[in-house]
Amino acid sequence: MLKKAFLLLTFVCSSCLLSGAEPERSVVQITTFSQQPAWDGPWRFDSVRRSGGSGFVVRGKKIMTNAHVVSWARQILIRRYQDPRPYVARVLFVGHDCDLALLEVENEEFFEGLEPLELGPMPKVRSTVVTYGYPAGGEQISYTRGVVSRIEMQTYAHIGNRAFLAVQTDAAINPGNSGGPVVQDDLAVGVAFQGIPGLENAGFCIPPPVIQHFLKDVADGRYEGFPMAGIRIVPLQNPAYRRFLKLADDHTGARVDSLLPIAATEQVLCPDDVLLQVGPYPIGSDGSIMFEGNRVFGSVAFQGAQQGESLPLKIWRDGRALEVSLPLSVYEGDRPLGNQYDVLPRYYVHAGLVFTPLSLDFMKTMGRDMRDLPNAEILYELYYRRAESPQTARPEPIVMASTLAHPVNANLKVAGHALVDRINGLRIEKLEDVVRAFESATNSHHVIEFLPDRALETLDREAAATAHAEILKTYGLPNDRRL
Amino acid sequence: MKTHLVLAFGFLASLTAGLARDAASSVAREWERSLVTLDITRKQPDFQQPWSSRPQTLVKGGVVVGTRDILTTAFGLENRTLIRVQKGGRGEWFAVQVQWIDYPANLALLTSTNETFWKGLKPAALAAGAERDGNLQILRWRAGNLEVRRAEFNRFTVTNPSVTTAAHVLLEVNSEIDGTGWSELVVSGRKVAGLVFAQTGNLCQVLPAPFLRSILDAEKKGTFKGLGYFDFTWQQTENPETLRYLRLPRDRDGVVIIEVPKKPGMTPVLQPRDLILQVDGFDVDAEGDYVDPLYGHLMLENLSVRNKWAGDKVSLKIWREGRALDVVYTLPKVEDASRLVPESPYDKDPEYLVLGGLVFQPLTKDFLRSWGQDWERRAPFRLAYFRNEEPSPERKAVVVLSQVLPDAYNLGYQEVRHIVLESVNAQKIGSLRDVQSALARSEDGFHRLEFLKGETLQRIVLDARQLEAATQRVLQRYGIEKAAVVAPTS
Repeated sequence: MLKKAFLLLTFVCSSCLLSGAEPERSVVQITTFSQQPAWDGPWRFDSVRRSGGSGFVVRGKKIMTNAHVVSWARQILIRRYQDPRPYVARVLFVGHDCDLALLEVENEEFFEGLEPLELGPMPKVRSTVVTYGYPAGGEQISYTRGVVSRIEMQTYAHIGNRAFLAVQTDAAINPGNSGGPVVQDDLAVGVAFQGIPGLENAGFCIPPPVIQHFLKDVADGRYEGFPMAGIRIVPLQNPAYRRFLKLADDHTGARVDSLLPIAATEQVLCPDDVLLQVGPYPIGSDGSIMFEGNRVFGSVAFQGAQQGESLPLKIWRDGRALEVSLPLSVYEGDRPLGNQYDVLPRYYVHAGLVFTPLSLDFMKTMGRDMRDLPNAEILYELYYRRAESPQTARPEPIVMASTLAHPVNANLKVAGHALVDRINGLRIEKLEDVVRAFESATNSHHVIEFLPDRALETLDREAAATAHAEILKTYGLPNDRRL
Repeated sequence: MKTHLVLAFGFLASLTAGLARDAASSVAREWERSLVTLDITRKQPDFQQPWSSRPQTLVKGGVVVGTRDILTTAFGLENRTLIRVQKGGRGEWFAVQVQWIDYPANLALLTSTNETFWKGLKPAALAAGAERDGNLQILRWRAGNLEVRRAEFNRFTVTNPSVTTAAHVLLEVNSEIDGTGWSELVVSGRKVAGLVFAQTGNLCQVLPAPFLRSILDAEKKGTFKGLGYFDFTWQQTENPETLRYLRLPRDRDGVVIIEVPKKPGMTPVLQPRDLILQVDGFDVDAEGDYVDPLYGHLMLENLSVRNKWAGDKVSLKIWREGRALDVVYTLPKVEDASRLVPESPYDKDPEYLVLGGLVFQPLTKDFLRSWGQDWERRAPFRLAYFRNEEPSPERKAVVVLSQVLPDAYNLGYQEVRHIVLESVNAQKIGSLRDVQSALARSEDGFHRLEFLKGETLQRIVLDARQLEAATQRVLQRYGIEKAAVVAPTS
């Protein structure tokens, strides 16, 4: 009796082997101990966080997972399917824009008996996929089956200010699933990565074009990132506007409404150019293209290019069609507007006044008060000033994040979260200016002016210099700066 | 023994309470002859649909003063269509007219020509002093009875000058009463101590009687020219190093001016980094307070309304570049405050302009408030942020494309909303009137509309020839009477 059951089991197993389908063996559990910096006290770190994710073995003895599974990691531990041993891993490449990472495992034994999962094509809408991973709620691997609901551009929450293609499925994707493969016909056709709060039965995965772009990018041993054209494409459906541009009233062509200050783009394109075709993709009047059977937003057409490559465009300008070539590179100008990783925050402390560059990461430390009037100035500086009045914008706006209380600064009314205008008469354009303004001062007092209304604070210069070392010691700052 | 004692004590307590009630009710009966109820019908404009307004009825209090005047707050009287008054909390309603109203001062005097109404009414006296004793009461008519509630003196303070231009002294009292803010009467014995104009939780904010008196007296004498205000921004100097830095001797105190608005063609008498040492002879301390003979410590802002009105002179002793200086400051008028985001003009229909379904509105505080109670957080950030900006020669006011009423004419723009119009046909826009005049500048049959840099859309092109027909079609389809309500340029 017992023997019969066993046989049945083997039979089932061998049938699996025959079809070669055992993707779960390639799926690993990732435990990360991470520690991120405290952006309002930039020399400090938050407490160590333990988080779980998933990953899968890919060609070349690497493990693919999400960038957010391993960011700010102090230690990464990996467990194989049905194997009790933890293995130490480290990040080989990470793409924070596309939320992908490749890990390597120190101990070569780890890969023994593991077959890499091959990447498949873009899954079709309405087809069935299975998500593998180690979501919360248990220790064992979990499988969830679902249907590809739609394929569209989505904001990638890890970086926060980039959007790429994403596949939406109704397979339950829960915390811990992140980085796990979404499988169809034994091929990985996606990397599970995010959900949308409040949206039920919807999980998102990173589709093959984005994964392949990442893998191609790192092939030279370095991750550059997704280049950006820096153009805002808007629908061109108003008949009057089409006539104004001497364009036929059909359904092709979307309008360039504005450009980011990217010199290479500004040389090739200008507002009111009409994009007729990007690479092989004709652009519809709503700004969309047909991409692998899905109508998606036209910016997808730009995302196939690698750093430094050029893309042929067909545009409409001054009443006629033109062919141009648009060089593409990675845009760093909006880095502070997204979540930042890997690089510790810059800061400078003088007499207990903590100065640090303004960024989204800093804004997050202000919590819900972000939109209150006193903080509106900070919000405006970060998100609007550069676009609206580049002539008054500063390359790196500086905030006074906090004050480390000491008799020398205890009377200051402005205690933190204030945008710095001038110090000792010097307009503060970047963190180095703060250092220079304090260190080259010779007057009896340091004078710090804040935006918007030039509120004024002063410090006795000699008393500040004397207190400086003591404050660093009292508050345990290893250094007064990180530049 | 113990039980007896408690019983006896309890009896005494109820006896004294009874006596107090009798005394209070006799006072209350006196007040029944001075306190009246006002019933106001008004148009409440809907700034999200500026062509439509809802009739609204509200009930508030008033008090008979002087000869045949009813004193009340101005709040709720904007866009009024009918005001009626009732005495004794019941019975007939009489029509009343507004004699005098001043919105920034939040005061109005009403009267009735109906002799019957005035019979049996008795004018109340406004207290001359600052009432801060323990006998404050709040009175109002409620369902035919006079409601009398105890109020506990909290403090005299000054309205926040960063919130309202018309900063002035106010009385704060705590009371168990709720739903006030509609000109309920605060009394101390037989005298009016003030009118309630706002309530948050248990805290009622009251316009104090001496402040009301000063305005009413000036109005009677014909010297009231509207409230003035200090247009400069100052900062407390709790940090003594700031005073050292500005070389002020250690035995003196003051606050530092950080911002003085630029006004075309005028040289301001004050400069940033001036210290204010005295205002009208009152010493100013590091917190920016002076000692008021009536109220005690108050923010110096109150000296802009202390028996002084717009256009009056205030003498300031300031400290500039190491020495004291006497300057004369002329109070600007609150209504003239040049704000990039002004209040909507009082008693005027909201301005708007419909162009082929595109709706343009001036950015006003009332427009922002149409996002509801939490508007400061809920209104679009960029629009709300204009409050932090000063008007400039290039941008005197902000015109917003607030919504698009869908029509074939505006196809492709229908999702657009809440973006700031910068120019029309290359003409800069500072008002709806500018938009109308710029439309005459189209040459090639198109109108080019440019929006603020950084907005979600930079440019819209409209067919100039079809514009009028499209506008008429939109007006008809959406039930809008007029294509434009535009104020003449000042």
